[in-house]
Amino acid sequence: MGEAQRGLLSVIEKLKGSTEQEVRIVLLGLDNAGKTTLLKSLASEDVSTITPTQGFNIKSVASHGMKLNVWDIGGQRKIRPFWKKYLENTDLLIYVIDSADKKRFEETGLELSELIDEENLKGVPVLIFANKQDLATSSPASEVAEGLNLHTYRDREWQIQACSAVSGEGVQDGMNWICNNIVNKKK
Amino acid sequence: MAEEESEWILESIVGYLGSPEWVIPVSDFMENKCTVFDDEDENKLSYTDIHLQYKKLVETLLGNYMQEVGINEQQFLDACTSPFAKTKTLQSVFQPVLATDDFQMFRSLMVQKNTELQLQALSVIKEMNGALPECLTDGVDVMTELQDQEMKILQEVLKKSKDEYDKEMSRRLLLEHKVGSSSDKRLAESSKAQNTSSAASQPSGAAKLTSRPVTTDERQTLARAGGERKSAAKSSSTSKPSPDCGSNGVESRVLPAVRPPVKSGDPPLSAGSREQSSSLTPPEGWLEEAHREAGFSKPYTELSASQQEQLQQRAAYLRQQRDKLHALKKEQQKPKQTIVPEEAPAVVTPEISAEEKKKLQKRKHLADKLKEEVIKK
Repeated sequence: MGEAQRGLLSVIEKLKGSTEQEVRIVLLGLDNAGKTTLLKSLASEDVSTITPTQGFNIKSVASHGMKLNVWDIGGQRKIRPFWKKYLENTDLLIYVIDSADKKRFEETGLELSELIDEENLKGVPVLIFANKQDLATSSPASEVAEGLNLHTYRDREWQIQACSAVSGEGVQDGMNWICNNIVNKKK
Repeated sequence: MAEEESEWILESIVGYLGSPEWVIPVSDFMENKCTVFDDEDENKLSYTDIHLQYKKLVETLLGNYMQEVGINEQQFLDACTSPFAKTKTLQSVFQPVLATDDFQMFRSLMVQKNTELQLQALSVIKEMNGALPECLTDGVDVMTELQDQEMKILQEVLKKSKDEYDKEMSRRLLLEHKVGSSSDKRLAESSKAQNTSSAASQPSGAAKLTSRPVTTDERQTLARAGGERKSAAKSSSTSKPSPDCGSNGVESRVLPAVRPPVKSGDPPLSAGSREQSSSLTPPEGWLEEAHREAGFSKPYTELSASQQEQLQQRAAYLRQQRDKLHALKKEQQKPKQTIVPEEAPAVVTPEISAEEKKKLQKRKHLADKLKEEVIKK
């Protein structure tokens, strides 16, 4: 509430009058991290024919009596400047990391720290998926957390969750964390 | 009291949402911006900006309206969430308003608008032309059009080459006694040239002319050169001297698509006598002509590798056709000329004199060089 500057648009938001609680989740991460695969796996869709995302995908998933609107935005370098446009009114950020791509841990850590500093994401909880655990060359979640300096994030809730978007392993655990966290937060 | 108020406010709002002040700007916006919205699963980044613009538009419109009527946001909200507003018809009236907050709804409205406009365009085209052009109807492949076109061209070419052949035959009857040995030489040369050509396929004399292998590449080449071909085809039947141009520099430069072996097989350049070479030209002249048409349709240097390959495929095909004509001719010559060899290189090669060999080599070298130069440019 108290968003006087949003004025009429926030009124319209209330007009929808759906009984479900709606949650806006933004799904970000470098290209080839597995964001779209994760999104499709959340929506129980086929994950075998996924191509690099040039724009963005949206899926609405019902979970724990809430409607999660998940926005997956392409992670290619040339698209990353557009991320900012999607952060407004975000309830939660999911950040996906390719745990097997050690060479780019630094790059992905940098992108994440820039996101954390965004005004629109102030205090927004972050769930980090250490994806691609099905690959033999992947680093464990603890190592990824270290690579990203996650321990320095003290201004918000965060969680790192090992997962494999392809097999679905660990994905539900992450979603449970999200729902518990949002429920606490929104009340 | 509050309910009554909500009722008239709601009525007023619904009235506004049906009035030109609202409908015109909103539908203008949608019609102008909907073209990028397709039914793909993935959203384009540009949708977001358009959605943002839409939000601003609606905000401005509704803001102005509320100011005019003198209601505040709370009254607006109360009215719109009152039980009266929950009917289905009113929900659809509110859709464009709700679309500001719901991207998915906005997107589906835009996709719907885009489809509507496309259908409108189709019906306009249908009205104007009586029927839709084939390319706009479902299930008709563009390739069939090309195929039709190609068949027409092919028939024309075959007809022309037969005409030329008939003419040549009548001329040949007159020149018959001269033809003998020099014709041998020419044939020997041309078959030698074919042996050196990598793309040249062995002539299959028995094969019918119409049974040509149709490849997609060829079709494209044909379609591209098609427009010119028709006019050029007419002129080529009358312009006999054109093949002679092959020997002058300027002409060869625009002919790089013709591969060296073809050139060296060019009758006008052969050591044979002039008058008789002109009687032999028609098929070759036509081949040369076709090459030139294809070559002229675009400067060779601008062609991509695949297009060059297409040209070469075409050249190979044309050579094949020529060979078939040769075979036909020879068969008819047989009763008159007993010594015409049957396209057998093994028999023919020894008959080439050392001098002619040299000449051939020289010519090939020249052609190679020319080709190289042109490609480099």
